[in-house]
Amino acid sequence: MNLAICLLMARRFIEKTQIRQVVEGYHDLSDAAFERTFERDKDELRAMGVPVETGSNNPLFPDEVGYRIRRKDFELPAIEFTPSETAALGLAATVWESATQAEQAVSALAKLRAAGVDPDPGRLGALAPSIGAREPAFASIWAATLERAPVRFGYRGTPRRVEPWAMTYRRGAWYLLGQDRDRQAPRMFKVARVDAAAERIGKPGSYRVPDVDLEAAWRSLEPRQPDSEAVLALRPGRAPDLRRRGRPVAADGVPAGYEAWAVSYSRAADVVGEICAHGADVVVLSPQRLRRAVVTELSATAGRAS
Amino acid sequence: MTSAEQVNRLLALVPYLQSHPDAELGDTAAVFGVAPAQLLDDLNVLWYCGLPGGMPGDLIEIDMDTVAESGRIRLTNAEYLSRPMRFTPDEAMSLVVALRAVRELAGGHLAEGIDSALAKLERASGAAAAPGPQVRVVSGSEEIREQLADAIDAAEAVDLDYTGAGLAPSTPRVAPVRLITRDGFGYLQAWSLDRAAWRTYRLDRVDAVRRTGEPAGDHGEPPEFGPGWLEQRPDAAEVTLRLKPSAAWITEYHPIRAVRQVRGGIEVDLLVADPAWLRSLLLRLGRDVVSVDPPEAAAGAAESAAEALAAYPAG
Repeated sequence: MNLAICLLMARRFIEKTQIRQVVEGYHDLSDAAFERTFERDKDELRAMGVPVETGSNNPLFPDEVGYRIRRKDFELPAIEFTPSETAALGLAATVWESATQAEQAVSALAKLRAAGVDPDPGRLGALAPSIGAREPAFASIWAATLERAPVRFGYRGTPRRVEPWAMTYRRGAWYLLGQDRDRQAPRMFKVARVDAAAERIGKPGSYRVPDVDLEAAWRSLEPRQPDSEAVLALRPGRAPDLRRRGRPVAADGVPAGYEAWAVSYSRAADVVGEICAHGADVVVLSPQRLRRAVVTELSATAGRAS
Repeated sequence: MTSAEQVNRLLALVPYLQSHPDAELGDTAAVFGVAPAQLLDDLNVLWYCGLPGGMPGDLIEIDMDTVAESGRIRLTNAEYLSRPMRFTPDEAMSLVVALRAVRELAGGHLAEGIDSALAKLERASGAAAAPGPQVRVVSGSEEIREQLADAIDAAEAVDLDYTGAGLAPSTPRVAPVRLITRDGFGYLQAWSLDRAAWRTYRLDRVDAVRRTGEPAGDHGEPPEFGPGWLEQRPDAAEVTLRLKPSAAWITEYHPIRAVRQVRGGIEVDLLVADPAWLRSLLLRLGRDVVSVDPPEAAAGAAESAAEALAAYPAG
């Protein structure tokens, strides 16, 4: 702490011998103990994100190395929030279910309060969002992504070497987008499928993260675009999920009490399961292949009567 | 000996106490997410900190007697440390993710407030950080969320057009209480005026919200909707499914109590609160289901499948 204050107050680089004289807690140490303590404290400050600079005041004697912390690199820049912004910030403290990340968010909010911002959760009692991080490998992958450290992990039993780029939370699960070193291409990994904690295989900051379009990378995982159309008989008012992708049509062979809809689907997706889930509310009119597949599945389920 | 975590906190505590003179000990501990005893320890460390030189006038001054007597903290002689340190990358990302999660439930003015707050935070934490994690929650339309939030603020009952898990449409009248997220989905937690019981409604299945002009009424606190919320429902029953390996996807899409690898597939234990939900799951799984225990649990799906088959001509 005193080292941080000392370096922050310095207008120029301070040499190690000076630091030893002025910083409370250093001058009573032996030479070896001072070296050890100073190096450790300096590394700890840097690990916390304190920008400890190394340099020389004297261009003629660049070997006389000193240290300083530049105030403008250290301080949180001035930042002002409107009432609706502070209301949102107030809620942010309660979102994380993971204790480690909750502490980080609370610590960030404490810094904002120290800067005079007053996050106000009271105004948003109606909203209670939450985010989990229950995946066993989450912490190791989160840290590697922040520090840009390449990692190795088992993915459903297969070893992978990855440069983490960004994480994304979808459908209640965490995903990692990164460069797969073996396949030499970007890949998306579901963190829940990572076998155990990711292991570092390189230094932090040892690769560059390109401008990635997370949205596009994610879309590549989404169900394929519709490439086929089925004609379905729907009971009135039922199966709104299928109606959303279709339009009413005229068709032959519509059972009594049903209406015909043309519904688009992707052959890559599980349209058979989707239709079966509606039971008698949906009947397939065409194509024949889809109709046969649905009948086969329904027959299996019907045969399970106890 | 001070840990890195403590130094990080102290560097924020000093400007905080200067911008909040006479701050209360317990409140301040809560702001920093630590116990009051830890905060006292922090103050005792700060007592020995200050400008290089270590002369009495160089040290940070804290009136420890006042802290002991009235629980109020007054810190002076630290004008050089009047602004907090920048966010660490972990702090910045944790805060950004939390705000994005709030954004996924918000609508209207609040959503705009969050977008602008995020932009300011990103500027303040510097562009050096990796692209921030995105957060997507399935939470229906912003318009529906805003209508629900407005009704909650106005303490007014609403009629919903809702498509339940069993895919049947309904129009429940409810007293809306709050919007929550669980496992990637947004839900409305509400008191069902029709059933006189607490219910949750998935936001993406709410097709319309109509204000009724009727007061919502006071129904106490809704039950905690934490992990395992289903287990608190007294009407939930355990069902075990034996499935072919091709059905392993369900462990990622549905709340599962336990999964066991068995010969030729997997066995999963599910808690079922809504028979219509199980019926539609079994219909969807079709031939991937090897067996259901208890066997009666499969009856609803079997009947429904037989009814559907009747609509197909024989052969």
